[in-house]
Amino acid sequence: MGNELVCKNLYKSYKKTEVLKGLDLQLEKGKIYGLIGRNGAGKTTLLSLMAGQNPVTSGEITLDGQKVWENQEMMDRICFSRELNPTTNFSISELKVKEYLKMASIYMPNWDKEFAEELLKTFELDANKKLNKLSKGMLSMVTITVALASKAEFTFMDEPVAGVDVVMREQFYRILLDEFAESGRTFVISTHIIEEAADVFEEVIMLDKGKILLKENAVELLDRARHVSGVAEAVDKVMEGRETYRPEKLGRSKGVTVLLKQGETLESDTEISVQPMSLQQVFVAMCGKEVS
Amino acid sequence: MNEILTQEKSIYLQISDMIKNDILRDIIREEERVPSTNEFAKLYAINPATAAKGVNILVEEGVLYKKRGIGMFVATGAKEKIMNQRKEEFYDNFIKSLLNEANNLGITKEELVAMINKEEK
Repeated sequence: MGNELVCKNLYKSYKKTEVLKGLDLQLEKGKIYGLIGRNGAGKTTLLSLMAGQNPVTSGEITLDGQKVWENQEMMDRICFSRELNPTTNFSISELKVKEYLKMASIYMPNWDKEFAEELLKTFELDANKKLNKLSKGMLSMVTITVALASKAEFTFMDEPVAGVDVVMREQFYRILLDEFAESGRTFVISTHIIEEAADVFEEVIMLDKGKILLKENAVELLDRARHVSGVAEAVDKVMEGRETYRPEKLGRSKGVTVLLKQGETLESDTEISVQPMSLQQVFVAMCGKEVS
Repeated sequence: MNEILTQEKSIYLQISDMIKNDILRDIIREEERVPSTNEFAKLYAINPATAAKGVNILVEEGVLYKKRGIGMFVATGAKEKIMNQRKEEFYDNFIKSLLNEANNLGITKEELVAMINKEEK
């Protein structure tokens, strides 16, 4: 205990919009967490709160038992590399890539300049280009560079691969895993490209409507997530007393998603099919809309 | 029709297998209409041409037939036909691999038969 980042009963509102609604979360050191949730679920807000860049409305965030907010010592251990948007953020739009990195390094006591330069090379970024001349994917790669070169103990990345092509995405995951293996830093990575990142995450955090819907080891979650379909009555019978997600009915046929208990098995038979699911399918079933 | 698609097999084969499973389970009965290719396309978010390919396999096999202007229907005798087809595939799909793995593990035929007899339902 102790070596953790803890969020207790977090609430966050922007004017009249309540984004986080009583959120509890505990992050252990030395893991790669995947933060997934739909647009507006509160992912960016949660990350900025945890990094101490944004005040909570109520609740508490502590690192190793000490408050993060306005605590320089704690904030030095956390890096939140925000999404860059030069069209709405004029203060940075005229900056060159290298100037932006220089600025970021001021806030990062463990900044690794060589690593940053190496990353620019890997991502084929021109340090002398202005941010407002970069494509969306290139801007994402700048934020990845800041996050990785920060060498911060806790590193939060907000959609680091948005707009990045598949070759560079693969590259990013490899560099991330490399850095993780070497340093044992803790990463929290939000993404909408769930399937390809699923194998990188040790734990999955699902955020839905301002609350943590689920936080679980990714492999264990997939071991117990099943899609059950077949004759409607037979499906209902097997699912009796269980919490099911996203039922789909079609004539005499029915399909549902269920999370089995740890170690429990459920096999297909003559009336029902039991299928394993991908992380993306589990996410859609749990956070998606009802099928109509 | 509520099964989910996986990466393991061609989508159109999964569509045709799914319809066959539903016929075996009496989810769709003989002389009933099956969903159109466009309905399948929407349900699984796949290209209608892919859905059509899956359905057409079943038309060629005589499991489904087309009523002009109305849609696809399950042929009379389709269930029996699928059953016979699956029986034929049973040897290739299950018995062969069963014997193969038993051989790898040094399980004799007698032991195998004893295992099957033990598994009475």
